[in-house]
Amino acid sequence: MQKILAIISVGIRQMVADPVQMMFLLALPILMTWVMSFLPVDAYEMAILGVLVMFVALNLITSAGGYILEEKETGTWQRMRASTTSYWHIIIGYFIRLFVTGLAQALILLLSSKYLFGAPWQQGYWATVLVLSIYIFAMTGVGLFLAGFVKTQGQVQALAMGVVMVGTMLGGVFFPIDNASPFIRGIAQISPQSWAATALRDLLTAGGSLSLLMGPLLWMGGIGLVLLAGGVTKLQMEG
Amino acid sequence: MSILDVKDLKKSFGKNHAVRGISFMVAPGEIFGILGPNGAGKSTTLSLIAGLLRPDGGRVLIGDYDLHLEPQNAKKMIGIVPQEPALYPMLSAEENLRFWGTINGLRPGDLANSVKRVLDIVGLSTRARDRVNTFSGGMKRRLNIAAGLIHQPRLLIMDEPTVGIDPQSRNHILETVANLRDNDMSIVYTSHYVEEVEHLCDRVAIMDHGHLIKEGTLTDLLSHGHRHQTLHLHLHGSSKTLQDLIAQLPGVEQVLTENGHMRINAVEAEPIMPNVLQLVKQSGASISNIRLEKPNLESLFLQLTGRGLRD
Repeated sequence: MQKILAIISVGIRQMVADPVQMMFLLALPILMTWVMSFLPVDAYEMAILGVLVMFVALNLITSAGGYILEEKETGTWQRMRASTTSYWHIIIGYFIRLFVTGLAQALILLLSSKYLFGAPWQQGYWATVLVLSIYIFAMTGVGLFLAGFVKTQGQVQALAMGVVMVGTMLGGVFFPIDNASPFIRGIAQISPQSWAATALRDLLTAGGSLSLLMGPLLWMGGIGLVLLAGGVTKLQMEG
Repeated sequence: MSILDVKDLKKSFGKNHAVRGISFMVAPGEIFGILGPNGAGKSTTLSLIAGLLRPDGGRVLIGDYDLHLEPQNAKKMIGIVPQEPALYPMLSAEENLRFWGTINGLRPGDLANSVKRVLDIVGLSTRARDRVNTFSGGMKRRLNIAAGLIHQPRLLIMDEPTVGIDPQSRNHILETVANLRDNDMSIVYTSHYVEEVEHLCDRVAIMDHGHLIKEGTLTDLLSHGHRHQTLHLHLHGSSKTLQDLIAQLPGVEQVLTENGHMRINAVEAEPIMPNVLQLVKQSGASISNIRLEKPNLESLFLQLTGRGLRD
């Protein structure tokens, strides 16, 4: 347990000590949320949840791939693998670190949207945390899956942008897609970002029930589980 | 009893046979040097010994433990010092060492003393609270060694720990390595620098194309079957014809020329010097520098592999 805590703690302290990372994680999305707050209230609610799911996805995918690649380049990954710490402890440490930073980022964005920029939400907070947790699990799975295959930081950035932009922009996160083409609606059907944004809107705005969201939650959880298993296995094979 | 016993170790990457069935042992308190050019298989060998790669054949025993059957027990006995500092730059020296101590199984109560002990060993006690990204290259290398020592391993694997650093840090590292040996630690040491290996290592293995082609103490290696001397000539206007003519002189075994630097390997170089000088004069070339080198690891390496260590 101490080893897992050490891996989580070192990762978070490295991140907090880097002002550029902190700007990307928090300052930029908060700035965008503030800009969105000048929209009419309906559009604002949609847009800020879009900003949230987009930045959380970008953070988790670039972090998972980028951190592991950086650790391989600096040799800290190899030094950990040569220690008495098992591969599974290392991966659990990485996973929790990513999950915690993703959840913290999402909650800070939600709270700043409500208390700083006036999002009119009054309900569904605990259910929102559950939806966010499952979404973050799915995005961590996507990130660790890509981490098993990428070889350069450039590949990490390109794949992260590809996955996030297609899933978010074409997935109907920022605009209604009821009258969009079947192609756009097809992307929304498989995009975890689209499912997450819809579920969050249903909970926070319309007061929807969790029982109605079982489909999206199972879909996001399933994607996360399958991709996580694939990535973790690939990383273990690489040594 | 040995600390490290490598038996018939093999590793391939596709069609590239990086390590082709090598065997050697390292005794307690011994520094075992591995010399070889890039691509010889040194790094793969170190990765296999550190448990980072799974071998295709053979086995690695660390003390009484088979590295792949009892990895936890075996790895407790190993410390690694990678060529590039494997550290977290945004954390302090002390925070890095506490992390590597925890990862290597030290209990929280033992961490403070262990951190202090290794910082003293590498001479960085006064910089314990400073972030690693404020350190010089040499200081990072020393902290890198401290991270390998934090859990008091019996065997330290050092991969070219002095590449690219200033002479002062290099001397400090070499002194540290010698002191560790004096405290009964076993060390596997790879380097391109022959003088380091000659100075530090109790036994040396020469590796090329995945094979250990020679192994023994420095005295053994230089006395058995290797009495060659090397004559170094720095020439202006050397030619292939001149090289061929010198190669035909009695006693000359090998002539290599690169960028005007001619290396002549001979059983006895002194007696052939007049003939060499005459041939150079006849060819119209001129000599800017001449040096006679007695048998050493570099010339032995050249004789055994036909190429220089930095080739």
